[in-house]
Amino acid sequence: MASKKAAQKSLSLAPVLDLNEATALHAQLMGLKGGPLVIDASAVERVGALCAQVLMAGAKSWEEDKQPFTFAKVSEPFMKTMQLIGVNIDHLLAQEARQ
Amino acid sequence: MDMNEIKEIFFQECEEQLAELESGLLKLNDGDRDPETVNAVFRAVHSIKGGAGAFGLDDLVSFAHVFETTLDCVRSNKLEPTQDVLKVMLKSADVLADLTNAARDGGSVDEARSRTLIRELEALAHGETHAAEPAAPKPVAAAPKPAEPAPVVAKPEVNDEGFQPIPFSFGDFDEEPAAKYVPTCQIVFRPNRELYAKGNEAVLLLRDLSRLGEMSVYCDMDRLPPLDKMNPEEAYFSWKMSVTTDKGEDGVRSVFEFAEWDCELDVRTIEEEVTGEAADDDEPPMQAVPFDLSLLEDGPAVSGDEEPVVSESDATAAIAAADTASKVAQVASRAAENAKAAAAATAAQASQASAAGQTIRVDLDRVDRLINLVGELVINQAMLSQSVVENDNNGVSSINMGLEELQQLTREIQDSVMAIRAQPVKPVFQRMARTVREIADITGKSVRLITEGENTEVDKTVIDKLAEPLTHMIRNAVDHGLEMPEKREALGKNPEGTVRLTAKHRSGRIVIELADDGAGINREKVRQKAIDNDLIAADANLSDEEIDNLIFHAGFSTADKVSDLSGRGVGMDVVKRSIQALGGRISISSKPGQGSVFTMSLPLTLAVLDGMVVTVAGQTLVVPLTAIVETLQPEASAIHSFGASQRLISIRNSFCPLVDVGRILNFRATQANPIEGVALLVESEGGGQRALMVDAIQGQRQVVIKSLEANYTHVPGIAAATILGDGRVALILDVDAVVAASRGQPLRQDISLAATG
Repeated sequence: MASKKAAQKSLSLAPVLDLNEATALHAQLMGLKGGPLVIDASAVERVGALCAQVLMAGAKSWEEDKQPFTFAKVSEPFMKTMQLIGVNIDHLLAQEARQ
Repeated sequence: MDMNEIKEIFFQECEEQLAELESGLLKLNDGDRDPETVNAVFRAVHSIKGGAGAFGLDDLVSFAHVFETTLDCVRSNKLEPTQDVLKVMLKSADVLADLTNAARDGGSVDEARSRTLIRELEALAHGETHAAEPAAPKPVAAAPKPAEPAPVVAKPEVNDEGFQPIPFSFGDFDEEPAAKYVPTCQIVFRPNRELYAKGNEAVLLLRDLSRLGEMSVYCDMDRLPPLDKMNPEEAYFSWKMSVTTDKGEDGVRSVFEFAEWDCELDVRTIEEEVTGEAADDDEPPMQAVPFDLSLLEDGPAVSGDEEPVVSESDATAAIAAADTASKVAQVASRAAENAKAAAAATAAQASQASAAGQTIRVDLDRVDRLINLVGELVINQAMLSQSVVENDNNGVSSINMGLEELQQLTREIQDSVMAIRAQPVKPVFQRMARTVREIADITGKSVRLITEGENTEVDKTVIDKLAEPLTHMIRNAVDHGLEMPEKREALGKNPEGTVRLTAKHRSGRIVIELADDGAGINREKVRQKAIDNDLIAADANLSDEEIDNLIFHAGFSTADKVSDLSGRGVGMDVVKRSIQALGGRISISSKPGQGSVFTMSLPLTLAVLDGMVVTVAGQTLVVPLTAIVETLQPEASAIHSFGASQRLISIRNSFCPLVDVGRILNFRATQANPIEGVALLVESEGGGQRALMVDAIQGQRQVVIKSLEANYTHVPGIAAATILGDGRVALILDVDAVVAASRGQPLRQDISLAATG
C-alpha cells in the first residue's frame, strides 16, 4: 500500500460492479467523504457504467474537498473498461500502479 | 434487483407487448393503415426480441427476428398488409406468445408450426424485397480483418456473465485499417435511466461497438453531479464515438437495437477525410483509442493471487491507451458547451414522458390480503356501531358521529381497494381472438370475431376464471354453431361467419354475451339425443327454451363426431358449473337459422355486496341491492289470486307475480299474508319483474361475502352468506334461483330445466 498517513482510509471494490452494486458503492463512498481515500480496484472483474459514474462523481467531490482520491491498485479489466468507455482515470492512479 | 426479478419483469412486459401486438394486427386487419399502428406492432415485436436477446432466449429471438423483418417490410411500405399477409402475422403473433410462455414456464412449442411460419414470413419478406436480411438472430462480432485470419468468430462461446470472447491480437493495431474504403460513423449515445434499469449495460454496448472496427470514444461527464447529489441509478454519462467499420451505419445501429428505445442515439456516416485532423470547428477531432479487449474476456480474475498478474506488454498498451484517451478528453471538452444545451432539452423531454400514467406492479397476494383485511374491518366496524347503538341510551352522542365518519371511511377504503383489483376484460377477449382463429383454421370455416366493451372492468378473479368457459363456448360456437362457408352461401348468408363477444355492465353485474350467426340449436336433434341418453322421457313435452337448456346437461353433445376441438360431451355442463361457481348465471336463446346467443351474468366482485337486510319467517336474509327495483307495502286491493296458488300484485296498472320467499325456501309451510309483509320488486336475469315477499326490512348494509360453497356446501336458492354486525350469520338470497323456483320448478341445483339456472 502506498499510504503511510494514518488518516487515510481505503476502500476495496467488489469484483462485480454492476447495476446492483451502484447504490451500495455510492453509500460506501458517501460514508468515507471528508478524508483522503485510497481505492483498491485490484479485485474488480467487471465494471458497469453506473458504478463508473459513481466513482467519477466521487473523484469530483474529493477534488472539490481538496482531498486526495487515488486508485492504489487496479485490475486489468477495470482499466480496460474505463478506457473502453472513455473515462480517464490516469491522474487518479497511484504512482506504483502507473509504472 | 437480481436477474430473476428483471426476467420476471421482462415476461410481464412481454405480455403487454403481445397484447399490443395483437390489437395492432387486428386493427390492421380491419383496414387501419395508420403508420403509427404499424409502428406500434413493430415496436412490440422488437421489444420482445430485445429483451429475449438479453436473456439468451435464442428461439424467441430468432423467431422474433424473422417476424420483425417481415414487419419492417410492411413498415417501409414494401409489403402491402393484405388479409393473407395479416393471417400469417396473426399466427406468428400466436407462436410468439407460445414461445414466450415456453421460455417462462418451460415446456415445448410446436416446432413444425414455427418453422412453417418462419418460412412463410420469410417468403413474404423475400417476395417483396430485393434482399432479405440474414436470418441470424444477432449480428455476430466483427469479422476479422483480412490480415488477421487466425481467430475466426464462428459461434462465440458465452460464459456465465454473458461475456463473449473476442479474438484479438496486437498485430491489428499496426495494420493500416484504411487499406480499402471503410466508412466512419459518428455516434452520439446518451443512455436513459431505463436502459440501466432494464439490465442493459452501456459498457457492453460500447464493447460491441468497438468490435465493429476501430473506435475512438469520448465520454461526456458534464452532467455528472457531485457524489452527494447524485442518484447512483441515474444515467449521467453520455458518449461520442467514431467507429471506422465496414459494417457501416446499419452495423452500428444493430449494436444498439436492443437499447434504442431507452437512449438517444444519433448515428451519422461521415466521409473519411473528416475523421482525421480536418474536422469542423464544431466537431471535436477524435483520436483513435486502441483497446485490448482480450482482457475483458478472461472471466474472473485469478482468485488465489493477491497481486494482479499483469503482463508487461499489456500494461504498456494500457497506459498508452490511457494517455491517448486523456488527450481526447481534453480536446473534446470544448465541444461540451454545445452538448450541454442539447442535453438539457432532451432531459426535459424525458421527464415529461415519464410523468404520464405511472403504474406499479403489485403481487396479487398482497392485494388479496389487503382486501381480506378490509373485509374484516367492515364487519368489525358494523359490530362496533351495533354495540354502541345498543349501549347508548342518551340518543345522539359524539361517539355516534365519529362512528358515522368511520363508516364512510371504511366504505371509501373498501371501494378503493376493490378498484385495485378491477381490470378490463380486454386480455381475455384478446385471447379469444386467437381461439377463434385457430378453430376457424382447423375447421376450414371463415370467422370474424367482433368484440365490444373490452374496457368493461371486473374483478381480477372473475377475469381469470372467465377464460376457460369462454374458450369452450367460443369453440362450440365456431365448431357447432357456424356452418361451412358453402352452406352459408347457399343459405344466402355472408360466407364469413360472425361471432360477437360483448361485455357490459348491467345493474351492478357484468353481462357477457356471446352471439353467433350460425344455424342455431337443432332442437329436434337435441331432443332426440336427450331421449337417447335418458335425460328426458320420450313423450316429454318441452318448450323450446327447455330444449335449448338441455345442452347444459352433463354428457350431452350433439356433434356426430367427436372432434379435437369440442364435442366430447363435457362441454356446456362444465361451462355452466364454472360460471355458477363464480356466482354467475348463463342462459341461452337460439333462433333456428339465425344463430344462438349465450348470456352470462357475473358479479363484479366476489368480495362485497350491497344488500338489503330483510326478515323472513324469523330468519335474516340479505337481498342483493342490485336486484331490487323498488320496495312497496302491498295493499289488499292490489293483490289478485291467479290459478290455484299463484298470486299477482298490481303495480301501477301492470301485474307482477308475487313470490313468497319464505314458502319457496321452506321457512314456513303456509303462504304468508301479503298485507302484513313488504314486497321487493326485483328484476331477474330473464328480464321480467317479480315481487318478492318478505316479512320486514331491517335496513341496507354492505356485507362481506363469505362463500357457502367453500365453507359448507351449495344451498339452492342461497348465493352466499355473510356475518352481520351482531356476529350472526345471514344468508344472501339468490334472487334468480328463487324467481325460477317460483315458476313451479323445483329448487334444485343439478337436474333443473330452468331457463335461467
